[in-house]
Amino acid sequence: MSTTIIRSFNRAVASLLLLTGTLLGCPVQAQSAADIDSGTLKFVLSPEPPFLLTAINTALQMGMVTSKVMEGLLYLDNELKPQPLLAQAWDISPDGLTYTFKLRPNVKWHDGQPFTSADVSYTILEVLKKVHPRGRTAFAKVTAVETPDPLTAVIKLSQPAPPMLTALASSYESPMVPKHLFAGTDPSANPYISKPVGTGPFVFKEWKKGDYILLEKNTDYWQAGKPTLQRIVFRIISDASARAASFETGEGHIGGLSPIPLTDMPRIAKNPALSIEARGYAYMSPYMLMEVNLRKPPLNDVRVRQAIAHAIDRARMTQVVWLGYGQPAVSPIPSQVTTFHSTDLPKYEFNPEKAKKLLDDAGLKPGANGMRFKITHDFIPFGSEYQRTGEFIKQQLSRVGIDVELRSQDLPSFLRRAYTEYDFDTTSLYYGAFADPTQGVQRLFWSKAIQKGVVFTNNTGYNSPEMDRVLESAQGENDPVKRKALYLEMQRIAMTDLPVIPLMETRFLTISSSKLKNHTISADGIIGGNFADAYFEK
Amino acid sequence: MKRLLQLSNLHNPTLRLLGRRLLRAIPLLLAVVICNFILLKLAPGDAAEVLAGEAAASSLEYLTELRVRFGLDQPVYLQLWHYLVKLMTLDLGFSFRHNQSVLSLILDRLPATLLLMLSGITLAVVVGACLGVLAAQRVNRLRDNLISIFAILSFSIPVFWLGLMLIVVFSVHLGWFPSGGMQTVASGKQGFAHILDVLHHLVMPVTTLGLFYVALYTRVMRASMLEVFNQDYVTTARAKGLGERRIILRHVFRNALLPLVTLIGVQFGTLLGGSVLVETVFSWPGLGRLAFEAVFQRDLNLLLGILLMCSVLVMISNVLVDLAYAQLDPRIRIR
Amino acid sequence: MSAQSPLRMFATRFCRNYSAVVGLLLLLCVGLMAASASVLFPEDPWDMVSTPFLWPGQDPNFLLGSDIMGRDLAAGLFHGSRVSLLVGFSATLAAVLIGTTIGAIAGYYGGAADSVAMAITELFQTIPQFIFAIVVVAILTPTVTTVTFALGIVSWPSIARLVRAEFMTLRERDFVAASVSIGMSSFRIITTQILPNALGPIIVTGSLMVATAILTEAGLAFLGLGDPNVMSWGTIIGAGRDALRTAWYITAIPGLAIMFTVLGLNLVGEGLNDALNPRLKNR
Repeated sequence: MSTTIIRSFNRAVASLLLLTGTLLGCPVQAQSAADIDSGTLKFVLSPEPPFLLTAINTALQMGMVTSKVMEGLLYLDNELKPQPLLAQAWDISPDGLTYTFKLRPNVKWHDGQPFTSADVSYTILEVLKKVHPRGRTAFAKVTAVETPDPLTAVIKLSQPAPPMLTALASSYESPMVPKHLFAGTDPSANPYISKPVGTGPFVFKEWKKGDYILLEKNTDYWQAGKPTLQRIVFRIISDASARAASFETGEGHIGGLSPIPLTDMPRIAKNPALSIEARGYAYMSPYMLMEVNLRKPPLNDVRVRQAIAHAIDRARMTQVVWLGYGQPAVSPIPSQVTTFHSTDLPKYEFNPEKAKKLLDDAGLKPGANGMRFKITHDFIPFGSEYQRTGEFIKQQLSRVGIDVELRSQDLPSFLRRAYTEYDFDTTSLYYGAFADPTQGVQRLFWSKAIQKGVVFTNNTGYNSPEMDRVLESAQGENDPVKRKALYLEMQRIAMTDLPVIPLMETRFLTISSSKLKNHTISADGIIGGNFADAYFEK
Repeated sequence: MKRLLQLSNLHNPTLRLLGRRLLRAIPLLLAVVICNFILLKLAPGDAAEVLAGEAAASSLEYLTELRVRFGLDQPVYLQLWHYLVKLMTLDLGFSFRHNQSVLSLILDRLPATLLLMLSGITLAVVVGACLGVLAAQRVNRLRDNLISIFAILSFSIPVFWLGLMLIVVFSVHLGWFPSGGMQTVASGKQGFAHILDVLHHLVMPVTTLGLFYVALYTRVMRASMLEVFNQDYVTTARAKGLGERRIILRHVFRNALLPLVTLIGVQFGTLLGGSVLVETVFSWPGLGRLAFEAVFQRDLNLLLGILLMCSVLVMISNVLVDLAYAQLDPRIRIR
Repeated sequence: MSAQSPLRMFATRFCRNYSAVVGLLLLLCVGLMAASASVLFPEDPWDMVSTPFLWPGQDPNFLLGSDIMGRDLAAGLFHGSRVSLLVGFSATLAAVLIGTTIGAIAGYYGGAADSVAMAITELFQTIPQFIFAIVVVAILTPTVTTVTFALGIVSWPSIARLVRAEFMTLRERDFVAASVSIGMSSFRIITTQILPNALGPIIVTGSLMVATAILTEAGLAFLGLGDPNVMSWGTIIGAGRDALRTAWYITAIPGLAIMFTVLGLNLVGEGLNDALNPRLKNR
């Protein structure tokens, strides 16, 4: 009786094993070699972008995809110098009010139409100036874009705007949009934002939601003989450890923004098949900071904020939480922005005793349980490192008698709390300082940037007429020497008033297969690079 | 002849059952929609903020524009009314985040989810039933205890930990299976090769998902086998001199399957929720992960659509279970 | 003729089942961990007291090693047992209370009350449980309270169905008819007559539900929906998730703790089931 059962069971197990045996068909490493031979680049991406046009939504992951399809006028090289892309040459008038761009001839959109100055005019006036989240400020002073001939575009400004050139020098920040497909429509609702048409080395082919995005080589690309790669597959992998595994099995060839848990980095660094690249994030210049809600006592007392700054051991945080992939920040303009960064500022070195004294001076004595007062801390839910940053801050502040309650929530709840309801005491998150302080840092300190409901802008309530004056002068200052002096003053005021406490300059990393070359040749790295020059070494 | 009589007997009660179920289903689905809608509206933040947040910059005009486009500027009861009206025409709405209609999004991902879930249930049922039978044969002896311990262990291991460990061992170190995804993209595989490719990617996720439920089915099968062994009709059959094998297969097995079948019906809903973890770890493009992401993106239309569809699937599986129940045990009449 | 009280008979049956006793011992161990946490590890388990990534046994001061930020894993384990057990039992208690109330009303009164109760139950059952829990926690923002609440809300339907079935059967019994005839109020009948007899299956299902609650809480923590101020086993696993490959002991240790607790609960649950249903035994 039971033997019959056992026999059938055994037969079932045997067939299962046989099936499994056939399924072990293709070992994973063999697939990787096949990919490299056929020029198929597997790009690991997470999270999946909502659509594909960075002129509307400047999500970095979106840029990783769109910059291969759509190009900008210029790009910044690794020394932050502008280089030609769709514009062959450019000229800026001495008064800074006229920018003349000579466009590259014989460039075609992927649907065969020619790329002309009409597209540039449309992109700047209708898309970048009106819809682009940062473009509204960068192109605010643009009054007109003249098109004397199809290969010349002249931008006229009412006031000098140095940030504009930086904004134009990135395919991620300012991609050129085809006028013949977008004119007369609402760009945000245009179907072509999900199937982009550009001038770039790769043509959009297919998007299987939740799975992958496929780009094929543009055989009519304006650079003869390029690109070398045949296709790019963007694989959406939402789990960090799974991403790490995909690099190690060769199922993923490149990924950016530190795609794997930092604890896996040392192991990846030792793997000769993989390379780590630290460059390519200078355009964004990210750094971590604490926003302090100045509306809530006792945080409105500058001594309390200074105490907090002294209480956090930034060097240790960089080591313990970020495993050394960062640098303690001393200024709201990070060191990567070499043009404007300064260290000649008020310093807040790690000194818990000094912190305690400052708090005593502010009249906040410790209570029975050793705590002086209680605050909440919201960390931005971008990943586990950010949560650990919050935990670290909580620990450090408790040592000087500040009781911190951590609050965890998803992104929309965080944004609602921090930027609409102002229902927070402190937050920790990262901002992009960008290559020009007007693009990135101004929004933290400008009183006019206080806009309820708008995210990633002044939410501390900081309002200093002196700071406003400095920022507004610097915005339109054409003379680079005077501009630098203004931003030096800005940093001094910021570090004296301390409405935000800079914590750490983030060092994002790009992981790639060691065989992949030339993927990071611009300041915006793989986020803005078009991969025309990228290739697999044999 | 007997078969025909049986069929004609079932004909009317089956239709009656389906009719009754349909009548009950409509108000239930309506309640599901309204409940979920209100629940999701309570969540702080909305889809416009999420898009702006990911853009890492925004302006008031942009946010307002988005809100108007998404219909978020209208009062809540109006939004609900519009949604219900559209639902009448089977229009599940538009997902502004994915720039696609909700129905097409769901239909895109449905095959992947069904594949994962059905394979998982099949694996769990087959393995569980076998183990349950084996355990019941030698009740309380070593084999029984070992099987019980294995079952409980597979139930106690956190699903995500198991998944990640499988990836580490079988994918990274041994290279036998791919670490994620549903297929090898852009490989140009067609037909049978493509099917094999998908199956190759299916092995680890299905094992992870199914193992969790093996415990349940093993225990249920074992318990019901034991219960049934002592029933009168088994004793009668033995008295009649029927061989043990016939007894097991025809009488015991069939009746022991009843609780198992009920359990499968109930499991369908929990299986979808459980697949969230598996789909996340293995990057399986299914509905579980889509729903999970929709929560964090405040993509109301999409989430409502998925929840609605799940409810529909659960109801369908309940009906199928009831029908199967009647088939398995002729003593049960469909009332 | 045996004059043993039912309780004594039950205890004897239970203790004869070896696996049930083993389960009980496991649970006692975990309970002891929770009770002794503040005594053995008086410091805050969140304190970063050592160098990160210390393996178990590497440093005699930190027997179970340290985690990704240098926190003592042993302290985390002991303090975490409190939270995990608390969440597990509270969520189950909430589910049992809600489910029993609704199921009792439905099963005893029948008719309209039954239809309404069953409609509500079915409503909650058609929504996929885990996703529902995620939505509730996301809406209320993750804290221990909201997670417990979410788990309770999601689990009560199965208890309600069970209780309803029991009540429907028990209500036909003689002793209920007797109680009605002597004029006992419905409330008293439900609570003093029927409920004690229905307790058996409730307790068995409840013990398994505690196990599921603990596992679900770990799953939520893994997805980032845990309370950041409170350390549970799920929190430790979630925190160690990034170091899964290099320092897998950080997830393995609390993972094993969860496994043994769940194992213990299952064994005890099965033992209770067998002890309360002696006719199933052909031992």
